[in-house]
Amino acid sequence: MNLSTVAWITLLAPLGAAALILLVTRTNRAAASGLAILSALIALVGGWTLFLNHAEGIYQGFNWIDFGKDFSIPFALALDPLSRTMLVVVTTISPLVFIYSLGYMKEEEGFWRFFAGLAIFLFSMLGIVLANNLVMMFIFWELVGVSSYILIGHYYGKPSAADAAKQAFLVNRIGDFGFMLGILLFWVATGTFDFSGVNDSAELFKAHPTLLAVSCVLIFCGTVGKSAQFPLHVWLPNSMEGPTPVSSLLHAATMVAAGVYLLARIFPILSASPDACEIVAWTGAITALGAGILATQQDDIKGILAYSTISQLGYMVTGAGLAISAALPMFHLFTHAFFKCLLFLTAGSVILGMHHEQNIWEMGGLRKKMPVTFLTYLCGMLALSGCFFFSGHYSKDLIMACAWEHHRGIFWVVVIAAALTPFYMTRQALVVFFGKPRSEHAEHAHESPLVMIVPLILLAIPAVCAGYAPVEHYFFHSVGSLTEPEVPHFVELVFGAAFVIGILAAFVIYRGAPAKDPIRIPAFHNRFYIDDFYFWIVRVIQGGFAKLCSFIDRWFIDGILVRGSATVVWTIGFALRFLQVGNIQAYALFFAAGVVGLLYLLLTIH
Amino acid sequence: MEHSLDPYASLLIHIVSGVGFALTTWVGSLLLGRVGRATGVKNVPYECGMLPEPGPQPRFSVKFYLVAMLFILFDIEIVFLYPWSVVYREYLQQYGVEILGVLATFTAILFAGYLYAIRKGALDWSK
Amino acid sequence: MNTLYLEIAVVVLGIILLMVESYSASANKARLAWIGAIGLFGVLLLSFIPQHAPAPGSPAAAFITSDLLSVFFVRLILAATIVFLLTVPSFFPALRISLPAEREGGGLGEFAILPIFVCAGLMWMVSAVDFIMIFVSLELATITLYILATYLRQNTASLESGTKFLILGALSTGFIVYGISWLFGTTGTTNLLALPSAIAALPEAAVTPLLFGIGMILVALSFKISAFPFQFWVPDVYQGAPTPVTSYLSVASKAAGFVVLIRLLGALWAIPAVSHQIHAVITLLAALTLIFGNFAAIPQTNMKRLLGYSSVAHAGYLLMAVASLSSKMAVPAIGFYFAGYLAMTMLSFVVLQVVSEATGGDEISRFNGLGRRSPLLAGAMLLAAASLAGIPFTAGFIGKLLVFEVALKQGHYGLVALGCVTVAAGFYYYFKVIRAMYWQQPAEETSIAVPGALRFLIAVLGAAIIAFGVYPAPILAALR
Repeated sequence: MNLSTVAWITLLAPLGAAALILLVTRTNRAAASGLAILSALIALVGGWTLFLNHAEGIYQGFNWIDFGKDFSIPFALALDPLSRTMLVVVTTISPLVFIYSLGYMKEEEGFWRFFAGLAIFLFSMLGIVLANNLVMMFIFWELVGVSSYILIGHYYGKPSAADAAKQAFLVNRIGDFGFMLGILLFWVATGTFDFSGVNDSAELFKAHPTLLAVSCVLIFCGTVGKSAQFPLHVWLPNSMEGPTPVSSLLHAATMVAAGVYLLARIFPILSASPDACEIVAWTGAITALGAGILATQQDDIKGILAYSTISQLGYMVTGAGLAISAALPMFHLFTHAFFKCLLFLTAGSVILGMHHEQNIWEMGGLRKKMPVTFLTYLCGMLALSGCFFFSGHYSKDLIMACAWEHHRGIFWVVVIAAALTPFYMTRQALVVFFGKPRSEHAEHAHESPLVMIVPLILLAIPAVCAGYAPVEHYFFHSVGSLTEPEVPHFVELVFGAAFVIGILAAFVIYRGAPAKDPIRIPAFHNRFYIDDFYFWIVRVIQGGFAKLCSFIDRWFIDGILVRGSATVVWTIGFALRFLQVGNIQAYALFFAAGVVGLLYLLLTIH
Repeated sequence: MEHSLDPYASLLIHIVSGVGFALTTWVGSLLLGRVGRATGVKNVPYECGMLPEPGPQPRFSVKFYLVAMLFILFDIEIVFLYPWSVVYREYLQQYGVEILGVLATFTAILFAGYLYAIRKGALDWSK
Repeated sequence: MNTLYLEIAVVVLGIILLMVESYSASANKARLAWIGAIGLFGVLLLSFIPQHAPAPGSPAAAFITSDLLSVFFVRLILAATIVFLLTVPSFFPALRISLPAEREGGGLGEFAILPIFVCAGLMWMVSAVDFIMIFVSLELATITLYILATYLRQNTASLESGTKFLILGALSTGFIVYGISWLFGTTGTTNLLALPSAIAALPEAAVTPLLFGIGMILVALSFKISAFPFQFWVPDVYQGAPTPVTSYLSVASKAAGFVVLIRLLGALWAIPAVSHQIHAVITLLAALTLIFGNFAAIPQTNMKRLLGYSSVAHAGYLLMAVASLSSKMAVPAIGFYFAGYLAMTMLSFVVLQVVSEATGGDEISRFNGLGRRSPLLAGAMLLAAASLAGIPFTAGFIGKLLVFEVALKQGHYGLVALGCVTVAAGFYYYFKVIRAMYWQQPAEETSIAVPGALRFLIAVLGAAIIAFGVYPAPILAALR
């Protein structure tokens, strides 16, 4: 079997599983979960085979749309160092989350539907990773959006879940609109959709730096939506309405990182536009800081993690915007995928142990009742906080060091965010796992079953060591250079200080795990009122605008344009109908008139 | 120019004699027919009793049409076969078998139609 | 494999079924339709064995060819006939009411057998390269269609439909024969392949009689493809004819007409003496047909008439591509358009058949609340209407896109602008049906049952609409 076949099997296995579940096995629980997990394992083997064999090149599929030379969209898979590494991340994490879901979703309704959704998601995600052109990526981009919609809305009977699913879809639509415009702009300028073609077109844009910047920023809109960057971040916290494995796989490890992957994909052309990079870097930095601040005041165990995800995605986007190497954001994506996935799965384990209670102020003292969950959580938490010897430390510090080197303003913003991370994570750890149980559920909490524990342990390993130099070299040496810039000694001290200050502050405030949150900052607690602001916009401005539109629509457009033109058209049609008298002699007469007219034309035109 | 009209001369003669005959008889009857007393019965073209102006919808049995149509169909069969045998004489050397095959096919198809007509009772007047 | 064998196989199948029908004692006539459909499916499979035209110089080569165009449309016609046959058994209840049944099942069997002969005629027609052959095959198909259109013998609408079709059809037949004889008189040939060189050798004075002959033939073909002003028969005949027949008329018979038109115009397109007259006339026909078909459809309240006008409108879009015949993409565009048109038109007629069977009428108001009474039927109709209107990701959209692109490249800006206006008008009348299905209250709440064969057809045709709309490459490749 050659590598091309392996690549296609890897991509199509989850699709096959989803089709079989939806069309054949239907509600059979064992078959649904078995097929989905089997397809994830096939993808795992396929992904690693491709990685270990250094699969390289374009694997042609078929010409999806072919309108001649000027406009054809081939359906082909691109394998290069970047997609290989991303492939490993996606295919390694997916089976673990699938298996974990066996335990987590055991009691839930729509078990089979859930696994079909997961399989569709895996297919779409692999499509994003392997796509060789922008249009193909856009299609799979939308497909992950659809699977995310389906999975967030898994409990569609619950209004909040249905609303969250809808919101996620609609907010992403805003970003995707920009993404699509960007694709079209690139196509108009370069005449190609291929990544290789787009990335090689920097010369073309030499004379038009503004056009390049606009195109790149439009593409970046896709990232802003999918990777939940400010100001489109609002959907991600709400998406936590979905089952926890979904939050873990889609909304932490892989799908939301697709935006960063997109930036890495177009990195050569992006880095050719300093203006675009500036915008990207600042968006990332502001998001990292803002989401970090909000995470300090959340009460929902998953809400904290959601904001922390947004914050970390901000780091990755900043990393891309620094325009040093595509490997820089990808390295953080790589480590983050493992430890954040782990954190969400431990959170799921806690939630299951707590009988679906998610408020951290109802928990407490779970350390003894859920020892494995606690220990693995600790690995993930320390990795996220940037503790020495844990993976997050290496990738995050690298981004910060590069920021120091290239952009001081951004450096200080992300360093403050780096101090917030250990703060809110320590707060969460103290409140959830230490102190006394604060509720009935917390007292009777129990450790999760083995199918959930094993993935936790397996994920804890990369969460700890994914950042070590040999690992980094192994996965990234061909993606791009990752040499740590020389930074002054005091900068390194600042990194350490940020970590220590964050942890210490949390220990001081939350020591002894109080029963209630000792600090209450309404602005943070209420997400800076951004959600309310959007709601207000939608209600007041859009509502007012809608009223105005309705007025114009009713009286001007409906009354004059639509009704008017419809009446005109209808009258024409009605008049034409009179020709249709139904009398055969009349028809023969028309026929004869037609003959005369046609012959007259034919014979008189010269 | 005159030469090219030659083949049409006979046509002209045909038309002239046809129209001429009709005109002569018509004018003749107009002139001669006024002699004597005219009665309603006498003015009828066919005095053998057949009405020249029957009702607007003369009624025939629908079976008549069926039989007439079948007659035309099988008549056409003969009409086709006859010139066939004459026209293709010169090709017989080269395409003899093909021509025979085509003829056989044509008759076979019509024969199938014949069988169908019999079975459906189209030739049974009393049915 | 010699291309003639496909048509011969179809005729043999028809004759065998006719004999079985008349000599077997069984009253189960539905079986004939199934066997016919399976047999034609077999022929369809056979058509994928590489075909070769009759050897040059052989008698058959003067009449029949086998090129990409003919092979593609032979398959299309076979597919349309299979769809027809599969709808026949569920149409039997409606037939029984309108047939004097002296015997159980009397007259039902032929309704399943006659289409096979039409199919053979149309297959010959799309492969024919000689006007004699075209005429004979045209008559085989048309005369059989007259019978099929009049099939509901005790239904005055059907009788009216058949009579109008017969008289106007005979009129057009007269024109084609007359045109052919003028063509033969001036050029000395009836063969399309020999036509260009024969015309090139003509003196200038012969151009007028030649154009006269071509004009007559164009009249007859315009009748066949229902181009304005020869489309008047369409709404009346479509409305009265049995629903499966209407469906077949609007797809297969029209497709064959277009193929002949393409072949004739293809032979004449580049001849300087006649080309610009013909270009002008075809462009004008396209414009008038677009306007008439789309605008006259708007006030319609009867679904079958609406689809009749819609079929005129689609002829207009197809004529846009014919008017751009200089482009290499014109014929693939027409082929693709027809493939999509087959799926969406026949799908809407299948739905219409079930709905009118259940509600007893063809008016659009019969579709009221169909979304509640049968989600399957309403969904299928929604898909068909969306595709007929040209919504993206349906076959209809890609078809229109291709046609417009071809026309633009050939500089027919006026036609394309007109096309855009008429597409907008199209949305109006197709969406009337959708509105009725989903926004109107149903007259009664009972759900509508769909027979198994029709369920299968709905699934296949619906899948085809989406598949062609998402992945058009294979169909286009078949014609390039």
